[in-house]
Amino acid sequence: MSAAVQTGIQRRRAAVPAALVMLFLVPLILLPLAAVFVFAFRGGVAAFWRALGTPEAQFALRFSLLIAFASGAINAILGTFTAYVLSRYRFRGQRVLGIIVNLPVAIPTVVVGTSLLLLWGPIGLLGRALPAGMQPMFAPAGVLLAHLFVTFPYMLGAVKPVLDELEETYEEAAYTIGATTWQTFRFVILPTLKGGLFAGALLTFAHSLGEFGATVMVSGNLRLKTQTAPLYIFAQFEAGNIETANAVAAVLAILSFCIFFVLLRYTARPSDQP
Amino acid sequence: MNVRRLIGRMFPLVFLGGLFLYAVWPWLPFARPPATPTIVFYGFSILSDAMNDGIMPAFQTKWRGDGHGEVRFRTSFGGSGTVTNQIALGAPAQLALLSLESDADRLADAKVIPAGSWKKLPNGGVVNRTPFIIIVRPGNPLEIRDFADLTKPGVRIVHPDPLTSGGANWAIIAEYGAGMRASNGDKDAGEALLSGVWRNVAAQAASARAARTQFENGFGDALITYEQEAAYDRSRGRLKADVVYPKHTILSEHTLVVVDRNVRKEERALVDAFTQYLWSEEAQRIFVHYGFRSVRDELNAGHPEFGRVEDPFLISDFGGWRRAKKEIVDAIWKQRVMQIAPKP
Repeated sequence: MSAAVQTGIQRRRAAVPAALVMLFLVPLILLPLAAVFVFAFRGGVAAFWRALGTPEAQFALRFSLLIAFASGAINAILGTFTAYVLSRYRFRGQRVLGIIVNLPVAIPTVVVGTSLLLLWGPIGLLGRALPAGMQPMFAPAGVLLAHLFVTFPYMLGAVKPVLDELEETYEEAAYTIGATTWQTFRFVILPTLKGGLFAGALLTFAHSLGEFGATVMVSGNLRLKTQTAPLYIFAQFEAGNIETANAVAAVLAILSFCIFFVLLRYTARPSDQP
Repeated sequence: MNVRRLIGRMFPLVFLGGLFLYAVWPWLPFARPPATPTIVFYGFSILSDAMNDGIMPAFQTKWRGDGHGEVRFRTSFGGSGTVTNQIALGAPAQLALLSLESDADRLADAKVIPAGSWKKLPNGGVVNRTPFIIIVRPGNPLEIRDFADLTKPGVRIVHPDPLTSGGANWAIIAEYGAGMRASNGDKDAGEALLSGVWRNVAAQAASARAARTQFENGFGDALITYEQEAAYDRSRGRLKADVVYPKHTILSEHTLVVVDRNVRKEERALVDAFTQYLWSEEAQRIFVHYGFRSVRDELNAGHPEFGRVEDPFLISDFGGWRRAKKEIVDAIWKQRVMQIAPKP
């Protein structure tokens, strides 16, 4: 029995279940996505560009991207450091710490927004002590704080498994020839982390780009100041400007596809596999 | 083969680099326009077109014409209750046009503004008005002629949410008051009409504008909202629904508040000028163009999109918003109507 025949049979057997999967994927995922593009271009390409060209839409997209870049960069550093500490050191309370850093995955984003307001807001526990110009809520800093909170576990999730699998003998070898902790990290650990770091940063970026629940609480939804692209879409949709909302939604969707594509390519490349 | 690999390797870098460049572009030193004085304006939901496309560009032109240079606006619009909460929590609004005076009261209670400070503004702080009406599907298939018809079984009403929407609070007073006035001031009749309407509420939205979007997207048979929502579209021939004027309904009055703590000394003159401008004939005419009724009655004449209300009433007929909120919205609607009404 040759392998080709077997896969042929398998393929025929797979046709029915695969068709079933498609049967529910089409109305569940593909059709709604298609609707976004159909609606966005319903008024023609010119109307699509006009909707995107308004200062508010441009600002919302740029602001979202900036926050996403900043969240990716900051959490890349904080997340990698946390993963390093959790994976390389043994200390009391480690398990608790391991749970805390993953907590943001489980907490509803609206609750994150509320808790940030109650801490940093003008009537919040810490916020009330800050001078008027320094308060982070309803300002870009507040949006960044919310996104850092919400996306924190993604970096950790991408980097820590790689660190856990990395044989400690390499590090020990580095130490025996006199390398410092920093040198060991820089020349032994960091190169192997490259794939995980990139994937984690990209995941963080993608999640930040689409974050809504926490942002809507802390941003104040100020056009041209703190309105992110998802908030812009929501506000325009609520106001009945469905085409305008969908133009920006289509751009966000395309951006996410591109990020996802990069992520797939980068993480699936055979040369990166351990 | 090598070219494909090169493209594959370069794509993430070029893609992310391009995105980053796009994102930071306006903040790069050579792209940055000089800082211009800015007014931060918050408003309740249905104001956004009138302010963003009408009042603000007109003021910018006037301000430039008067030799003061450029002025920019930062705006945010939402349900009146939402906007009030944001300001109470410290949102940087310098001016806020609220749907309800009781939202201004709430800001005063939160010590954001001095109590009653808006009463010192022209016209007691009221910038414009609009009566509460019913919007129904084209041709009025359910033959809804008044609030009472909304209580018939099977009518599905889209109503904004009184927790966050000022319009919803006005609508409650309209429904209650209409029942009362139809039977010579009988309070029980008011409550009966109110609970009849609320038994048929099928969808609640966070703001009047959001409720209208729900209605436009095909939900419900009737929408209770500001006349402005219909009048502006009607004047442009774009209304795809019929408007029903109840015999008795309320004329809502929208209150402006100045949040002094968010106004820096050097911005004072600009903010004051814009505040006064809102009551100027030019601004009032713009509000009329966008479907609001001016506080100057002579400007409302000759606009067929403003229908006739046989018996309009005001919030002062119920002793003002502070009393009405306590006695009608809280004591009757929240405590009694909502306890029996909810039906999915």
